Amino acid sequence: MDKVLGNKKTIFLLVLPGILVMIAGVLFPILMSGYLSLTSMQGGGAAKFVGLQNYIKIFTKDKTFWVSIVHAIILGFSYMLFQHPICMGFALLLDKMGGKAEKVFRVLFFIPCVISIMVTSKMWVNILNPTFGVFNKVLTAIGMEGLARNWLSDPNTVFISVLFIIMWQGFGYGMLIYYAGVKGISGDVNEACQIDGATGFRKFFSVTLPLLMPVVKVNVTLGMISALKQMETVFLITDGGPGDRSQFIANYLYQQAFRAFKYGYANAIAVVFVVICLVVTVIYNKVIVVEDL
Amino acid sequence: MTNTHTLNKTAKQKKLIIKSIMWAIMSLFAVLQFFPLIWVTNFSLTKDSDVFTSGILKVPDPPEWQNYSLAWVNGNILKYTINSMFVVGTTILIVAVLSLILGYAFTRMKWKFANAWLTFILIGMMIPIHTTLLPNFLIFRQFNILDTPLALIIPYVAFSMPLGVFIMTGFMRSIPRELEEAAVMDGCGVMRIIFQIILPITKSAMVTIIVMTFINNWNEFIMGATFLSSVMWKTLPFAVYEFSSQYVSRYSVQFAVMVLSALPSLIVYICLNEQIAKGVTFGAVKG
Repeated sequence: MDKVLGNKKTIFLLVLPGILVMIAGVLFPILMSGYLSLTSMQGGGAAKFVGLQNYIKIFTKDKTFWVSIVHAIILGFSYMLFQHPICMGFALLLDKMGGKAEKVFRVLFFIPCVISIMVTSKMWVNILNPTFGVFNKVLTAIGMEGLARNWLSDPNTVFISVLFIIMWQGFGYGMLIYYAGVKGISGDVNEACQIDGATGFRKFFSVTLPLLMPVVKVNVTLGMISALKQMETVFLITDGGPGDRSQFIANYLYQQAFRAFKYGYANAIAVVFVVICLVVTVIYNKVIVVEDL
Repeated sequence: MTNTHTLNKTAKQKKLIIKSIMWAIMSLFAVLQFFPLIWVTNFSLTKDSDVFTSGILKVPDPPEWQNYSLAWVNGNILKYTINSMFVVGTTILIVAVLSLILGYAFTRMKWKFANAWLTFILIGMMIPIHTTLLPNFLIFRQFNILDTPLALIIPYVAFSMPLGVFIMTGFMRSIPRELEEAAVMDGCGVMRIIFQIILPITKSAMVTIIVMTFINNWNEFIMGATFLSSVMWKTLPFAVYEFSSQYVSRYSVQFAVMVLSALPSLIVYICLNEQIAKGVTFGAVKG
């Protein structure tokens, strides 16, 4: 047995393709980023070594970079404060409904998540369009035409609009994970509650919520990571504008790389970005004990 | 007797009221959640100018079906769908096979550094794809594979495989070893053990991996936008992207393109919703 399962040559052949894919697709690009981040490479030009200059610029001068980080943090907190409570509420409600309705609504709520971000983003651009968008029409219909505006180019409303759209897109994911958590609470617990007469809010705060805490942690961390990685929606809706009012790191990185052609600088942003994601992940692993995986 | 009877009745009534309230909340929220999709679908069947009506929805009278034929042809829907199927299909196949083989090597084979290499692969899950766009663009340009399907398949596989390996190793640790011991006694090679004995047992993990790889790559477009430039290999999300910039004022046809390009993943979801729900919640919840 050990002879077969310990055969070095077999192991090498089994593992090699996968490792090569990771090296080609992830490790090598990141190492290359690391190298180019120390240069002043612009577009197709040669790479001239400039040491840590790009990094110094990011940490001391680059307002846009820090605005992007702040936006990611705000998005992360918005998930926690607005999206997650709604997700959890509906997960509990779904569980309560039972029967066919439970299944139908569960399937329905996830639909926006399987539709391409491309479609849902362009859809929201049309909905918020100042001349024919239905959002302003609805506001007018309910007598709040004073609020009608160009939501996505008004500097005061662009960020809130973008946050709203991103949370709309992600609602199904959050709800589904909470729903799985609710389903994981065993029937015994519910029975015990019934016998002890714990119902409604008391049951929620002293029984259900504590039992859901592991799922809450997972969801919060997933939310934080997805907030950091936010790009597609912003790229399609506002491209970070007006000004940097709705800028996110990945989008800024893309602009620096493929519009400004500052290859050296963009790579430095990429390296800092990777480090931030890894740090958040380490915290995630420390905070969350994923058992039996 | 009558007392308990009325009590039961009021309890029943109360239950009914609660149930109706739940239904009302759910339906209201579902309508709010779906309204954007309904609006787009509605106006994909009207004339372009109808979008400017002051009404919120409009009965398409008669429905402008030619919006859809125009969207189908000028939006390149068929070609882009086939491209997406090819690129994502190839990705799924490679990811499935690699996850199976790697999962086996990491959980069953005995070798030094197995854990270190596993960690190396799993870290891939944490890296944002966006940080590799620029270096990969430069590398692919060097190797002349920009604007070919390889430019998408390589990064798609690299970013989907870690999740696959994560799912597979988790699953394989729960499989008892007796079956393989018998196979080894009979002189079975490792490849035969993996594909004839392990593969059938890992069916449910396999389905999760396939479903998640599909979900994560089918709608991806930022790599496509970076690595592809000609129509030849573009994937389905580009139908909307290109159409909305080429036919700026053809609102209804634009909406039709959106509906058409949302359909394939919607159909897959309707057919596989249980598996997708399982895949999405995998790892987040124990059991």
